[in-house]
Amino acid sequence: MEFDGERILDGINLYINDHEFLTLLGPSGCGKTTTLRIIGGFLTPTSGTVTFDGQVINDVPPYKRQINTVFQRYALFPHLDVYENVAFGLHIKKMSKEEIHTRVTEMLAVVGLKGYENRHIQNLSGGQQQRVAIARALVNEPKVLLLDEPLGALDLRLRKDMQNELKRIQQATGITFVYVTHDQEEALSMSDTVVVMDKGRIQQIGKPEDIYNEPKNAFVADFIGESNILDGIMLEDFKVKFFGRTFKCLDAGFAPNEPVDVVIRPEDIDFVPVEEGHLTGTVTSVTFKGLNYDIIVDFKGFKWLIQTTDFQPVGATVGIRLNPEDIHIMHKSAYSGMFGDYSSYSAEYDELTEDAADEEE
Amino acid sequence: MKRANKILTILMFLFLYAPMAVLIVASFNTGNDITNFEGFTFRQYALLFKDSTLLSLLGNSVLVALLSSFIAVAFGTVAAVGIHNLNPKMRKVVMRLTDIPMTNPDIVTGVSLSLLFIFVGSNLLGAKAALNFGTLLIAHVTFCLPYVILNVMPKLKQMDRSLTDAAMDLGCTPLQSFFKVTLPEIMPGIIAGGIMAFTMSLDDFVISYFVTGPGFITLPVEIYSYTKKPIQPKIYAMFTLLFGLIFVLMLTMNLLQINAEKKKKDTRVRVESKGMRIFKRAGAVALALCLLLGCVFLGVQANQHTIILNVYNWGMNIADGTDDTLDIIAAFEEKYPHIKVNYSTYDSNEVLYTKLKNGGISVDVIIPSDYMIDRMIEENMLLELNYDNIPNFSYVDASFRNPDYDPENKYSVPYTWGTVGILYNTKYVDSADVTGWELLWNEKYAGKILMIDNSRDAFGIAQYLLGYDVNTMDKAQLQECADKLAQQRPLVQQYVMDQIYATMQNEEAYVAAYYAGDCMLMMEENPDLAFYLPEHQGFNLFTDAMCIPTCAQEKEAAELFINFLCDPEISGANMDYICYASPISEAKNYMEDYLAESQIVYPSSQILEKGTSYAYLSEDISRYVEGLYQHATKTADQSQTDNPNSLWPIVAVIALVGVAGVVWFLRKKKK
Repeated sequence: MEFDGERILDGINLYINDHEFLTLLGPSGCGKTTTLRIIGGFLTPTSGTVTFDGQVINDVPPYKRQINTVFQRYALFPHLDVYENVAFGLHIKKMSKEEIHTRVTEMLAVVGLKGYENRHIQNLSGGQQQRVAIARALVNEPKVLLLDEPLGALDLRLRKDMQNELKRIQQATGITFVYVTHDQEEALSMSDTVVVMDKGRIQQIGKPEDIYNEPKNAFVADFIGESNILDGIMLEDFKVKFFGRTFKCLDAGFAPNEPVDVVIRPEDIDFVPVEEGHLTGTVTSVTFKGLNYDIIVDFKGFKWLIQTTDFQPVGATVGIRLNPEDIHIMHKSAYSGMFGDYSSYSAEYDELTEDAADEEE
Repeated sequence: MKRANKILTILMFLFLYAPMAVLIVASFNTGNDITNFEGFTFRQYALLFKDSTLLSLLGNSVLVALLSSFIAVAFGTVAAVGIHNLNPKMRKVVMRLTDIPMTNPDIVTGVSLSLLFIFVGSNLLGAKAALNFGTLLIAHVTFCLPYVILNVMPKLKQMDRSLTDAAMDLGCTPLQSFFKVTLPEIMPGIIAGGIMAFTMSLDDFVISYFVTGPGFITLPVEIYSYTKKPIQPKIYAMFTLLFGLIFVLMLTMNLLQINAEKKKKDTRVRVESKGMRIFKRAGAVALALCLLLGCVFLGVQANQHTIILNVYNWGMNIADGTDDTLDIIAAFEEKYPHIKVNYSTYDSNEVLYTKLKNGGISVDVIIPSDYMIDRMIEENMLLELNYDNIPNFSYVDASFRNPDYDPENKYSVPYTWGTVGILYNTKYVDSADVTGWELLWNEKYAGKILMIDNSRDAFGIAQYLLGYDVNTMDKAQLQECADKLAQQRPLVQQYVMDQIYATMQNEEAYVAAYYAGDCMLMMEENPDLAFYLPEHQGFNLFTDAMCIPTCAQEKEAAELFINFLCDPEISGANMDYICYASPISEAKNYMEDYLAESQIVYPSSQILEKGTSYAYLSEDISRYVEGLYQHATKTADQSQTDNPNSLWPIVAVIALVGVAGVVWFLRKKKK
């Protein structure tokens, strides 16, 4: 897919199963919305094919696809009330009035908007508008429902509620959901399959657990949750060397002495007395996070993030142990060396990325 | 502070609405004079609704406004959508381009459109009447379009682009999504643009003036040509109604908007009331009906009568049924039901000449003055008449046959004639001073003298005074006349044509030079006025005569019309209205006595012998005279002609408002 000669999507190969909740996850500008718009039919790919039930649908316009979309900012029709918004697609299909009435009423009940039929769109809260948008799409009984960051405009609490609601609706209706988000937590908690994208390419496809536990490269490791990523050398199967020490691990299948990226999740690290530790370092900063502390520890000039309930004051010398199941080994990739160092870590980091992502079209 | 604010607001509204208030008051005035409210009456409204000519002109205007705003709305909306979908750079360029017709001076637009229409119509399509209803409509659509686009664009910009995506997502084809989603969203802009276009079209004069032919005239164009006589009060009544219409239209629009906003704010229930929905439907149906009727009306008008006769005459120069006169055109159409007269007017010989010369129009009967007929004959602009079709020519007095301007009487049949003389107020002017044209140079009456405002008549007066031939081409003599006129300038209150009525009747001026027939009318209003013809020095004897121009399409019908007007009974009834003299003596039998016996309208034949008529001077000399005239009367000392005293209060008020505004602004800023 190209825009004005600029390559937006490259080598996308994606297979979506029936009844699946699939999430396209990635930072701003990674191409996830573009992918969605291609599926919806609003864009035609410059090369490649889109198939639906075995049929190539590259040139099928959106209004002929059995696909409906929940738009980023809902795109409800301001001149119509709730009922008419939901009934819109059915009217276009020239359904009888009685049938429209039954289906709209039913659908409004499903999304919990009974009694709001005659409300004007402007008089609805964000969450209510969201539900109308979902009802408007679902009432057409599409085979696939596309959702483009549908919860982006909601506050945190409402977002959590709506996540559960969406999952419930998806399971109740059995419709295939293709969901776009930049929020990894949302992706992990709702999806059957997560597609991690960056720079117009798919980085990894997999179940949420696999994506988290077995990231394929430094980008995925960093984007999904927090990761300390270190340079290491795979000496042989189940043996990796970094920081001048050899550790046991559960990974195999690498070439002997292959340089690799080593991922250690911050929550997998436990403090031990200095003399028992594999490594020792000095605490340089501590942030209280409610559930745990974010502690930055300096190991020989390389700063690690450790998430633990075990408080350590700044300046304290600490030791850590790494068990084989705490260590994940990845092949080197284009992303190696770009992530995983917490030297410049700050607590606002997360929020900054989210703000940036919100501006994505 | 707040009070100052209020006062300023009131002042502003006063400033804006005072002219309308005067007009409305005048429309209910019993008397004809704006400055004097004599009593309340609806008479002018009754007169207005009896005046089929005015009403049909109003109908024309409304029809053009409705059609052009409707077409402009359709095209403009489509164009706006197209422009909106261009890339931003192109969009900017195109928007600039569409704005230009709006900022372009009307006169430039008008002239260029007229040239284009004539070029395409006459030269490429070979139409005789290139300027007609169609061209007028096209021109109106042209200048209405930008207003629609300008109003629709912001609504499109405001609209969430994903709305159309959403519509297509839900099964709409692109066209359906336009009608079901985009259109309702941008509707307020469309309505606002449409109303703006409607009002713009309704009151357009400048562009219409250039692009329409006499076949289809709108109200503003017609009213502009009413300069031979003062505006009749029934026209005030019509303006009041028009103002009312626009006012109500704007008010409804605003109320609708406020209502809509309220509904949006109302958090409880929406529900478009049934009444509202019916109102909207009814409105749409009414509009559609209007358009349909308009088209049908036009169609019927075109088909019902096998012949459409275009008559092009001076403003207010034929009896039209007002003030108990005979409606001549109606009488003609009654007698010849297969002919429909399309009557339109011009306000000077020069305008008539230019319109014909420019081409693009087709008229069948014109009524120019003597010297203009001379010129038109010379330039082959007139057709020879077939006198077999004009038997009534036999009624025309021998003295009016074979005149100098048409020696063989091949091209013209006289319509009216008259003299130019001096009108003075006996209360203020010493009868001993009334000795000749020099009265207009008498310093005793400095500032109370009105001079006729056209070069030919003004030079004529100077020439009679100096004893020169009025048709001289001697530049030295002409220069002398110009000097004489320049010498008169400090004494002259105003150079006037139709303003003479109010000024003389209200005794704001005491002495004036003007046409005898008009003087008669003024003397009826103010008995102190008297008319004087300086027979010993000479005076202008003018004739207006009916001719058929080469662009005519219905020559036979035109001759029928000319014949009809030569019927003594008709001519007499006609003169009752226009107060000029008929070249048909027998017509006097059918005229009101005071007119027939008036020495002013019908001077004795001895006196008439002293009168001379204007001949056509070469174009070169005409221009030379016009230049001298402008220089002698207008350019040098503006303050003399503008009468500065009357301007001072206005300047003072504007200055005061300006100062008050500045003070208020500064004080507000300080806060």
